[in-house]
Amino acid sequence: MSLVVEAHKSLINVGLRAASNAFVTHLPTGIHGQDRVQKYVERAQTRLEHPSLHEPKSLLDGQVVAIKDNIWTARFPTSCASGILQGFQSPRDANVVNALEQAGAMVIGKTNMDEFGMGSHSTNSYKGGVRNNAVPGLHRSAGGSSGGSAMAVLNGQCRIALATDTGGSVRLPAAYTGLIGFKPSYGRLSRHGVVPYANSLDTVGIIGKDAEDILRTFRQLDRPDTNDPTCINAATRRRIADLKSARYRQRSGSTIRLIRKPSPQRVENSNFPVDRRRRYPGLVGRTDWAQVIGVPAEYNIAELSDSVREAWNRTLSQLDARGHTIVPISLPTTKAALSAYYVLAPAEASSNLAKYDGIRYGVRCSNSETQPDQTPTSPLYSHTRGAGFGDEVKRRILLGTYSLSSAGINNYFIQAQKIRRLVQREFDSVFSLPNPLRTHTITPLTETGVDYIICPTAPTPPPRLIDLKSSTPFDAYMNDVLTVPASLAGLPAISVPAPVAPESRYTDFANVGIQVIGQYGDDEALVRFVHVELQATDKEVRHYKRWRKKRFL
Amino acid sequence: MPPWKLRYARACNIFPIPNGVDIDCIAFRRPCPDVAIRSTIRKLFRSTQRTSYTTQVAGAVALRKQLKDEAKVKRAAGSTSTSPSPPSIQQMLKDWELTVGIEIHAQLNTARKLFSHAATSINDEPNTHVAFFDVAIPGSLPKFQNATLIPALRAAIALECRIQHISRFDRKHYFYHDQPAGYQLTQYYEPFAKNGCITLTEDDGIGRMDGKAGQPLIEIISLPQIHSPETAAAYVRKIQAILLAVDAVTTGMEMGGLRADVNVSVRRRDGPLGNSEYSGITGLGQRTEIKNLSTLKGVEEAIKAERDRQISILEAGGAVDGETRGWSLTAPTVTRRLRGKEGEVDYRYMPDPDIAPITIGADVIEYLAKTLPKLPNQLLTMLTEDKRYRLSMTDAKILLQLDDGERLEYYTSVVEKLNNICRDLEAEVDLGSTGQLAANWVMHELGSLLTRADRSWKDTQVPSAKLASILANLMSKKITGNSAKQVLKLIFDGDGREVGAIIREEGLVYRPLSGEEYADLASKVLEQHNDKVKQIREKGQTGKLMFLVGQMMRAGEEGRVDAKEAESVLHRILLEEPSQKRA
Repeated sequence: MSLVVEAHKSLINVGLRAASNAFVTHLPTGIHGQDRVQKYVERAQTRLEHPSLHEPKSLLDGQVVAIKDNIWTARFPTSCASGILQGFQSPRDANVVNALEQAGAMVIGKTNMDEFGMGSHSTNSYKGGVRNNAVPGLHRSAGGSSGGSAMAVLNGQCRIALATDTGGSVRLPAAYTGLIGFKPSYGRLSRHGVVPYANSLDTVGIIGKDAEDILRTFRQLDRPDTNDPTCINAATRRRIADLKSARYRQRSGSTIRLIRKPSPQRVENSNFPVDRRRRYPGLVGRTDWAQVIGVPAEYNIAELSDSVREAWNRTLSQLDARGHTIVPISLPTTKAALSAYYVLAPAEASSNLAKYDGIRYGVRCSNSETQPDQTPTSPLYSHTRGAGFGDEVKRRILLGTYSLSSAGINNYFIQAQKIRRLVQREFDSVFSLPNPLRTHTITPLTETGVDYIICPTAPTPPPRLIDLKSSTPFDAYMNDVLTVPASLAGLPAISVPAPVAPESRYTDFANVGIQVIGQYGDDEALVRFVHVELQATDKEVRHYKRWRKKRFL
Repeated sequence: MPPWKLRYARACNIFPIPNGVDIDCIAFRRPCPDVAIRSTIRKLFRSTQRTSYTTQVAGAVALRKQLKDEAKVKRAAGSTSTSPSPPSIQQMLKDWELTVGIEIHAQLNTARKLFSHAATSINDEPNTHVAFFDVAIPGSLPKFQNATLIPALRAAIALECRIQHISRFDRKHYFYHDQPAGYQLTQYYEPFAKNGCITLTEDDGIGRMDGKAGQPLIEIISLPQIHSPETAAAYVRKIQAILLAVDAVTTGMEMGGLRADVNVSVRRRDGPLGNSEYSGITGLGQRTEIKNLSTLKGVEEAIKAERDRQISILEAGGAVDGETRGWSLTAPTVTRRLRGKEGEVDYRYMPDPDIAPITIGADVIEYLAKTLPKLPNQLLTMLTEDKRYRLSMTDAKILLQLDDGERLEYYTSVVEKLNNICRDLEAEVDLGSTGQLAANWVMHELGSLLTRADRSWKDTQVPSAKLASILANLMSKKITGNSAKQVLKLIFDGDGREVGAIIREEGLVYRPLSGEEYADLASKVLEQHNDKVKQIREKGQTGKLMFLVGQMMRAGEEGRVDAKEAESVLHRILLEEPSQKRA
């Protein structure tokens, strides 16, 4: 499909599929919108007509992207789907948005989300909740907090969407909408220009239909940024690459099972094709080797629905059939991780959200009620915050304020930090690759370690929105139980759709999310593993994609 | 340049990185691009810095005076106090012991804010040096400015703190109008320096860095170990002098560079111990805090007022509430309630997730300690005890006080050059006296010239080499004191010639008179003043001899009569010759 056609289709879809409420702000659609994108269209057209004159800027050149509403964009307001930041215009583009625009991508709009990223179903938005209307019948949850980004990709309104992941906000929507959602390692992508929810957990994530797109986007954004003190610098990146190549060398000397039939090209070269080596330095052919896959027993929780458990099983058997080794592992702090997350994230949120007082930006609500002596009944700050924030945000601010108070810090915040440390150590102990942030020397691989951990992304298929109305906030928190451990440990994790049993495919939801977690810094290999082993080769997914394609243009 | 003169106008601008030294943490990897802007900032600051240095040295010297005064006050039982407590309180003071703990906030001398690239400036228009982070734009991230560590470290070294290898920043939450983020970044759990100690009193000088409205501050917190208002004021004065001396802060209290919060409690000397406790010191009475004192006088007065208030309450059988109080210059004898315990803020300290821990390498500390300017006390010791100077304490203090230390630099340079000249000439001069001589000339002769001409100190007017040369000529008796003064005056007024040339061309070379010439001159003078001769010879009024010496000086050729020589000649003629004759 040509770029122009795709751009037009994206714009048309923004108008056509407005019912899913995926956008907070977007380029004007219809006839007026055509004027606005004319420049872009012309650019794409000339490129197509004279390909020699217009070297593509990158592999992303001409692609349509959507940005989550809590990431700075110079052209659209950044409201974080919150009433308190309504119409807030950021001073410039976020680092990641800037990188995308430099690569030639076009930002089509800002996607809807849970207010400040707090929620699991993208319903806590001042613009109204996101509706997952992809499957006929009652509207389902699009997942949260990046539900808008996921729906925009699913609706064909953009090719790739940028989102943020704090405790599963990219992976859960991807799982609920049957897309691929990738949360990179903490610190790989710059957070400069990302309105923080919980700084120590926030990461910029990517949602797309195809792992190839995600890999391309990730490569474009994966670079050091001096404006973000938590973005890992060039030296650390080099060290991570060294660690990985050391592992590769070690692996290639040990007993390896080749899964694929060696291609003629590969026979020619003693090791691997040269062109691929150039394209993926340090990662050459990683996914062509048999991997050790860890299956954490603790993730098989009682709340897991049958279809999810069945899909998990099928994925594992499929990998086993392809020659990978499946080993059971134990991550006992998984249950405590959820509690720790819901102490730490609100604590940081209560601190981060203290700045919204209606003085410098956002909306200001003055109190109309006055006392007899004409002074307002409450200060400007408190009135603005009371009117501007949604219920979930207020709930988490209160939670966080308490867990940081002198009465609560020892029992909650400090304990949660300890659990977080335990979770990190636990992950480090199961991976064969040492954590490059904790090891500065290249240590020999443990023979028992695993390369990836595979578990479900969400305990259930997407719930119906109507059912959520009767559920408590705590039920929503439970949805994050499988995604928060990777967030706490800062590990890269990706959610890929896995087909559910054929008998329920078209009546219920076609697939559920399966999560793959890798060691810190192993991002590219992880996406490639998913691309090669879980997505591209799966006939059923391809079948599903065709079915989906028929439905949407 | 003498080592103590290593003064950094704006600390991080000219901080030299030692070549070849691997600084493992303070790596200035990214030089600031806007050099032009930075230099203007430096210029802007010159003016304010000048004034601040005057106060610095005044503060430094006044410390001893302050302590002396304090002792005097003690002797006089508070009679010299500016606002004496009522007599009833005076009586009660014997029964009550005062305990004071002080928290000093000092604004660091840095070019940048603590967490953004924006410049710190007190002279520019408000809101002109603002980065996104400073106004807490959602999505902006802090950028720790390594260079701000340098003045903070200098302060910590000067206060003999234990500097921590790793320190971290925490968020301190409260709503305040000058605080856009809703929290202040401070070092609460792991400050960068601990357990300082200054000579005045043992204290737990915890140094921590804050960023309030982006301006880097350090907090110096003392243990509650101070027991008199005067000592408290002296403590603050001393800290201020030290901070200014090592160039850790821009201005003193007068310019708002320093603020103090004091915690005051009283307890009966013979009564049961109080229930309150602070940092390991137990048995204290209920304390109240007086916030934001901006003058030294204020510290003293506020403590006195609060002490008197607390004693009155307790004597009347009441109880002191733990509260925050304020004090103002307009009503110096009272403190007023700002907020009570119910208004106390739970700051909800949380480690900042964005700012990496700060690692301070031992080599950086070592380097800074080596290049630290000398403290006022060390300078005084140097001037009075070093065999090159050997000044009296009074002279040393005056020298230290003049022209924000530039006079002192000039003085040491003169002494050094003078000693060099004398050594080269191998002249038979008393090297031990050069210090005092140079001090007299630098302070008094140059000083009087300056006052008479109504000019301010300018280093370039009389280069130190020229003054040294004049003094060398004087010491080797090539010119007389009067001639030396003339030469100095000429140079001071802008004569560009060399000292030797001036002496030669103005005919100031001291040609001593021969014995006969002295005798002739003496007899000439004696003839004119027969009455005096009689008085001396017959009544033995030897004091009159000096009058005759003066007459000889006046009668003789200018610059040639040496007073000592004249005196000895007169002595011989008037007193010895007659007795010889008699014999």
